[in-house]
Amino acid sequence: MSEENQVEEQPKPLILEKLEANHADALLAQDESRGTVVVTVRKEQSYAILEYLKTDPELAYTFLVDVTAVDNSQMESELMQFDYARFMVVYQLYSYQGQCRARVKVPVHENDLNIPSVTTLWQGANWLERETYDMFGINFEGHPDLRRILMPDDFEGHPLRKDYPLRGRGERERFNFDKQNM
Amino acid sequence: MGLDFVGQGAAETDGNIITTTIDKVVNWGRKNSLWPMPFGTACCAIEMMATLASKFDLSRFGSEAIRFSPRQSDLLIVSGRISIKMMPVLKRIYDQMPDPKWVISMGACASCGGVFDTYTLIQGVDQFIPVDVYIPGCPPRPEDLIDAVLQVQQKIASGAAPKGVEAVYE
Ligand code: SF4
Repeated sequence: MSEENQVEEQPKPLILEKLEANHADALLAQDESRGTVVVTVRKEQSYAILEYLKTDPELAYTFLVDVTAVDNSQMESELMQFDYARFMVVYQLYSYQGQCRARVKVPVHENDLNIPSVTTLWQGANWLERETYDMFGINFEGHPDLRRILMPDDFEGHPLRKDYPLRGRGERERFNFDKQNM
Repeated sequence: MGLDFVGQGAAETDGNIITTTIDKVVNWGRKNSLWPMPFGTACCAIEMMATLASKFDLSRFGSEAIRFSPRQSDLLIVSGRISIKMMPVLKRIYDQMPDPKWVISMGACASCGGVFDTYTLIQGVDQFIPVDVYIPGCPPRPEDLIDAVLQVQQKIASGAAPKGVEAVYE
């Protein structure tokens, strides 16, 4: 069975049809992963697209399941595909109405780590974005309280970046209890 | 465990008078009324809870008064992973416990980091607080924890100083 036949057999997901009709200029790539539609969009339009996915009455991706990021610095294929953007911010969405999931990926370059916060769309994004900031150093613009959430406040670095050593930089052996107002 | 246990080397007069040393009586009291402070941060804490519950029933050994206030306890049971963010909390709780105090490091994680050889995990709480008894295992069985409590009791009965006190006088 050729590739073409397969594509013809399955109807195009509604989300892709609507995105192509309304936001074709923002789409960088579209994919499918285990039944989930995966779209990669430009950072400039990421907020508009997420807002569209949430508010469009036919799509209604009202549930933000997760916000996280991927450090692709050692994934040559991914890097080449998206103009050597080191990070990929990932939004997982779920539509109760359509009972389907969608994944929105946004490439973020290392020299410009800003991306619009979606806390105005989903309150639940607050802690998820704080975690992504803590682990990857992505700066969510417009976030009400962008602090570290998992690591201690005085921690330096962003440990889920691939260049962070697995065993740390000695922070686990080094402790200054006086500094913590003991 | 009656008074005859205390009275090693004691002389009985008329079956009514027992002599002993004050240390022995005090240690006997301490040993049989340990008040543990549970510091459960991970899976090992589940085994600790099982130990405290009716099936294994730690209270058979005089340790039933679990205190969630460090100021009322004299045995700290560290059961679980301690992250670099949690270590100052653990240290503070240890500091708040009145002397004399003993520490049990339960499980591989608390004793040496276990399988989590990562940036965020303390590789053994004994780097920062003195530990009297280590329990190996991942997780240790409740019997192991009971055995550790009995070892602490033996240590108290023998009159040996807690690890923390040794550290101060070294
Ligand atoms: S030693 Fe094993 S059971 Fe205990 S906290 Fe670590 S991983 Fe969990």
